[in-house]
Amino acid sequence: MSGNKTRAEIIVITSGKGGVGKTTTTANIGVGLAMKDKKVALIDTDTGLRNLDLLLGLENRIMYDLVDVTEGRVPYKKALVPHKKFRNLFLLPTSQVKDKSSVNPEALMKLCDEMKSEFDYILIDCPAGIEQGFQTAIAGADCAIVVTMPEISAVRDADKIIGELGRADKDNIKLIVNRIRPQMVEQGDMLDMKDINDILSITCIGQVPDDEKVVTSTNRGEPVIMTEDSLAGRAYKNIVRRILGEDVEFMDLHKDTFLRRLKRAFGMN
Amino acid sequence: MKTRLNDTAQEVELVKIKGVKQGLLLTFSDISDFNKVEAEINSKLTSGFFMRGTHIFFKPGDLSHANEELLRKIFARYGLIFKVMPEVIEKTAPEIKADDTVETEYEDNKEEQERATQEETVKESDDITQMLVVNRTLRGGQEIKTKSSVLVCGNVNPGAQVIAGGSIDIRGKCYGMVHAGAYGNTEAFIIADKLHPTQIRIANLVARPPDDMEETEMAERASIKDGQIVIEPIDR
Ligand SMILES: Nc1ncnc2c1ncn2[C@@H]1O[C@H](COP(=O)(O)OP(=O)(O)O)[C@@H](O)[C@H]1O
Ligand SMILES: [Mg+2]
Repeated sequence: MSGNKTRAEIIVITSGKGGVGKTTTTANIGVGLAMKDKKVALIDTDTGLRNLDLLLGLENRIMYDLVDVTEGRVPYKKALVPHKKFRNLFLLPTSQVKDKSSVNPEALMKLCDEMKSEFDYILIDCPAGIEQGFQTAIAGADCAIVVTMPEISAVRDADKIIGELGRADKDNIKLIVNRIRPQMVEQGDMLDMKDINDILSITCIGQVPDDEKVVTSTNRGEPVIMTEDSLAGRAYKNIVRRILGEDVEFMDLHKDTFLRRLKRAFGMN
Repeated sequence: MKTRLNDTAQEVELVKIKGVKQGLLLTFSDISDFNKVEAEINSKLTSGFFMRGTHIFFKPGDLSHANEELLRKIFARYGLIFKVMPEVIEKTAPEIKADDTVETEYEDNKEEQERATQEETVKESDDITQMLVVNRTLRGGQEIKTKSSVLVCGNVNPGAQVIAGGSIDIRGKCYGMVHAGAYGNTEAFIIADKLHPTQIRIANLVARPPDDMEETEMAERASIKDGQIVIEPIDR
């Protein structure tokens, strides 16, 4: 599964609800895998809502996009945007045009097949919802990561997406819970992992805290995994290790905030 | 990916029940202590769910002759037919994989079976499965609708629906909308390992669990008593 240059693992990052952190997750896992010397391609399929390039600080380097490739105007290698810092990380940006049906499942599958021999990992950033764009994004994937947030509506939508993935015979599905606010969980104002597992019952590979460093790092075009000592960055590093097959314990977000609160109480933070 | 984290722990069952085209298939994970196996089967049967006339299969070679006879007698007491699984029909029940609505009308079912019978050259014209077996979790937006009874080996999640002419047995947690006896059968009932539905309907009665429903470790059974839907804990 890793290091094998002839067969990339193709992972699609999905969610039911929009705005839960798919793009953030794609960027961070992509950078994280590249930091582990994997050759990685990120494909943005969220047509019209381009922003993976922004998160990676690559907006002004785009020459061609996904539609140019699938419609045969340029070979994919020409459209790939190399990352500034990680030379084994590449982005295939989405098109800015509104026509969501411009890339069909067959075209994306064909592209993935073609790219497979060149990369260790191909990550596909999926649009929200279960329309055509979703069907296209999942078509070529070996496995799916469903991103959700600890709130009822996001979990219900994630559940529907898992059902849809099952219907498309995508059975390898992992879960990432993003934007956890431990204090709210403790107070019972936010779903905890047990509540979420009760409904979704799929393997969880990440619990990412809500962290303002995610936002500040987005503004710099450097995913938070590149920043030393941020909680979210650490959570993403752990996710990457789990994807690589390591058995990594989950960090105790609760203890951490408790400690932080304690420190705060003593004026240390 | 090779992650093994947070996988929902499954308690070890000695006997597994799986839906197959002509009925149910029993598989055994451990028959070293056959008394235990027998006890587990008995407790499954006393839950009163299995429809009389249903065929219960086992795989050739799974059981000694004595044990086979023993089980045959037990099943016979419940009007169930216990027999060896013909190799050719070892195939899971029609996978429910349609669009949002899954309609399994009784008539269709029969037709489908006839077709299957032809294809697989099994002569069992009197075979009518009176139970629909769903071997997966029903997720939000998915619906099962059938005139027969339903056995769900999985959870019924919020936003999912099960509508059955007969009874509903959920070997998992029930959070969705469940309607048993949907065509008027007031004898129908609903069983789940955890019965926490959004709404529960039996025949023409509707109930909604109280907002502060207490958690119980036991399975629960909902049925009509004195013109009301009542929920009581059961052993199984
Ligand atoms: N762990 C987090 N902590 C704080 N903010 C986050 C976190 N994850 C995502 N965000 C913010 O949430 C918003 C939506 O994230 P995004 O990745 O664009 O979601 P999606 O791609 O699912 O629509 C962005 O503004 C992002 O900065
Ligand atoms: Mg996005």
